[in-house]
Amino acid sequence: MKPSPFPSARRRRAGYLFCLPGMTFLALFLAYPLCYTVWTSVHDVDLGQLLGGAERFNGLDNYRAVLDDPAFWHAVRLSLIFTLGSLLLQFTLGFALALLFARPFPFNGLLRSLLLVAWLLPPVVSGTLFRWMLDAESGAYNALLAAVGLGGLGHDWLTDPSTSLAGVIFANVWVGVPFNMLLLLVGLHTIDPELYEAAAIDGAGAWQRFRHITLPLMRPVSVTVLLLGLLYTFKVFDIVFVMTGGGPVDATRVLSLYVYEVFFTSFRFGQGAAAGLLLLVVPLLAGVFYVRRLRREDETPAGGAV
Amino acid sequence: MSYSVDRRGLLRAAGAAAATAALGGALASCGSGSSGPVTLTWWDYFTLDNFQPGMNRLIADIESGVPDVKIERRTFPFAELDRQLALAAISGDLPDIAIVDNVAMNTLGGNHLLADLTSRVAKWGQADQYYKGPWDGCQVGGKTLGIPNNSNCLALYCNTRMLKSAGVRPPTTWDELASTAHRLASGDRYGLALSAIRTEEGVFQFLPFLWQSGGDLDTFGTYGATALSFLHDLIAKGSLSEQCVGWTQQDVNTRFLNQRAALQINGPWQIPTLKKASFDWDVVPLPRDREAATCLGGENWVVTATSRHIDKAWEVLEYTQRPSVLVPYLVSFGDLPSRKDLADQGTWASDPALRLFLSQLPLARPRQYGPHYADASQAVAEAEQAVFTGAASPSGAARTAAVRIDKALGKQ
Repeated sequence: MKPSPFPSARRRRAGYLFCLPGMTFLALFLAYPLCYTVWTSVHDVDLGQLLGGAERFNGLDNYRAVLDDPAFWHAVRLSLIFTLGSLLLQFTLGFALALLFARPFPFNGLLRSLLLVAWLLPPVVSGTLFRWMLDAESGAYNALLAAVGLGGLGHDWLTDPSTSLAGVIFANVWVGVPFNMLLLLVGLHTIDPELYEAAAIDGAGAWQRFRHITLPLMRPVSVTVLLLGLLYTFKVFDIVFVMTGGGPVDATRVLSLYVYEVFFTSFRFGQGAAAGLLLLVVPLLAGVFYVRRLRREDETPAGGAV
Repeated sequence: MSYSVDRRGLLRAAGAAAATAALGGALASCGSGSSGPVTLTWWDYFTLDNFQPGMNRLIADIESGVPDVKIERRTFPFAELDRQLALAAISGDLPDIAIVDNVAMNTLGGNHLLADLTSRVAKWGQADQYYKGPWDGCQVGGKTLGIPNNSNCLALYCNTRMLKSAGVRPPTTWDELASTAHRLASGDRYGLALSAIRTEEGVFQFLPFLWQSGGDLDTFGTYGATALSFLHDLIAKGSLSEQCVGWTQQDVNTRFLNQRAALQINGPWQIPTLKKASFDWDVVPLPRDREAATCLGGENWVVTATSRHIDKAWEVLEYTQRPSVLVPYLVSFGDLPSRKDLADQGTWASDPALRLFLSQLPLARPRQYGPHYADASQAVAEAEQAVFTGAASPSGAARTAAVRIDKALGKQ
């Protein structure tokens, strides 16, 4: 049979057709809002101009106003501390738990499932729980400290500006650990047990096996987990909003809350849009890096690190 | 080829349909004055079940009393209404009528979202029937942009037994408040509870102190420091918990109900809950310093600037102000009237607690500071939090806040 003159063209057309629903969805719910935000960010828009339709193009004024606002830089600093603190603790604890759960022991499956509940809870629920538990007067943590005779360490965790960010990070770590653990556990299962056996025969101790087999082989998974964590953590809003609302004063006003306040408390839409786009910078960079890595992983054969 | 023709045809058909619909809508709106009932959209934030019977009766009353009108009501959570109004302004589907918090007049009115009712109100001629504070709260830039719906204010609740056993009387001045609250504090019980949360709620509770000291937002650097340091002293002496930076007014009331605070600053909306308390309580005016003052709360009725039925909406608003309509509505909500001529009717004429709040309405000041009040309010809330948590001194925090307030109020 003679092949059709343009098989690839026809197939490509069919391919486009199949893409259409997805592309339409992306255009409507991603591209349009994003373009609208960019448009807003270069116009002088606040509540007053909405009805008159007299938005004035003002170039980069909104960006300049945001970058000149000390509160913005304070929020950037808090977001970085929040993200780095959360990632570091989530990852270390997640790794430790993954190592634990990689070994067989009774109730392993049950405990693992229970841990996942933390991750499955809506942030509004976990945020509210932690707000209660960290409460100075009737909170569980202070009661626990008092019960073991450490009542002196009791503290107004969330209403003291110097500890409120730590309190929020603490809650966020609790939420994030199971997710980290799960992905790292999958990673641990891909390591060939024979490598450990061979190393043991060669006389490598537990630490050496961890240091020279587990860690290097876990590197690709770890980078993925950390990047995904960065994407999730940097734009976190709900748990902070529920726990402290950004306070006391501005001690937990991370970038997402700052943007929210510019938008919905001050109704300065232009500046809010500009700040929102600036908030996108870090996750976007991380995202690009992540996609690049995925592509490189596809190119190199599996277990390429060996 | 046939595809593109079809598509173009389809587009043309769709365009024609849209045009017809638009024309039809336009015709309908033109004809609305003469024939068929007008449907007015109505937004408010009274979502709780106990408000529904009263609200439903009010709307039924309006629909039967005002000719040719139908009300289509939608409710939002309290914190959501302002945001929804802003979003509706973007998308162009603002309601005709809304019941908004009186402080929202700053953003909504200041940004030209509300219809000017000045000439209609002048013709109506009942402006002098309202208490000064609530009425002033409806005036923005010399225009009348709303009608008070109900009004409330803050006062001081006292746990009668605790005061008696401590041998003290309800405080009437700042000095007495400081000494009384100190006497009443013991163990895990604080003398005074108030809300200093980082939202408008906290500012609502703080502004009376600022006004009582003789100042206002434009003199925050001086008088803000006075008010802040007075409250800071209460915390330093253990009369007031620094935890109040996280308390809503509801939390404050819970403290008072659990007898973990002997005095609390709160509004009349807590009375129904407090009537179930196992102890006796009393309510007195807020203690005064150089001036006596309290903050105005409550809601206003507004008509939006984009409404195509402003006259009809005004007719509805005017109708609601008849005593026979307004009194049952206010009674069912447990609210106080904003009108002086209703002072001797309804539950507030007999209930001593409601009566006390009503007696304070003439002292209640609206938060009338212009379109950027939200920024000023945030500066006040953060100053209060900084002082209460020990992050800044009263004078330092007041100076920092004053700069932001002046900028927000356009004084710079």
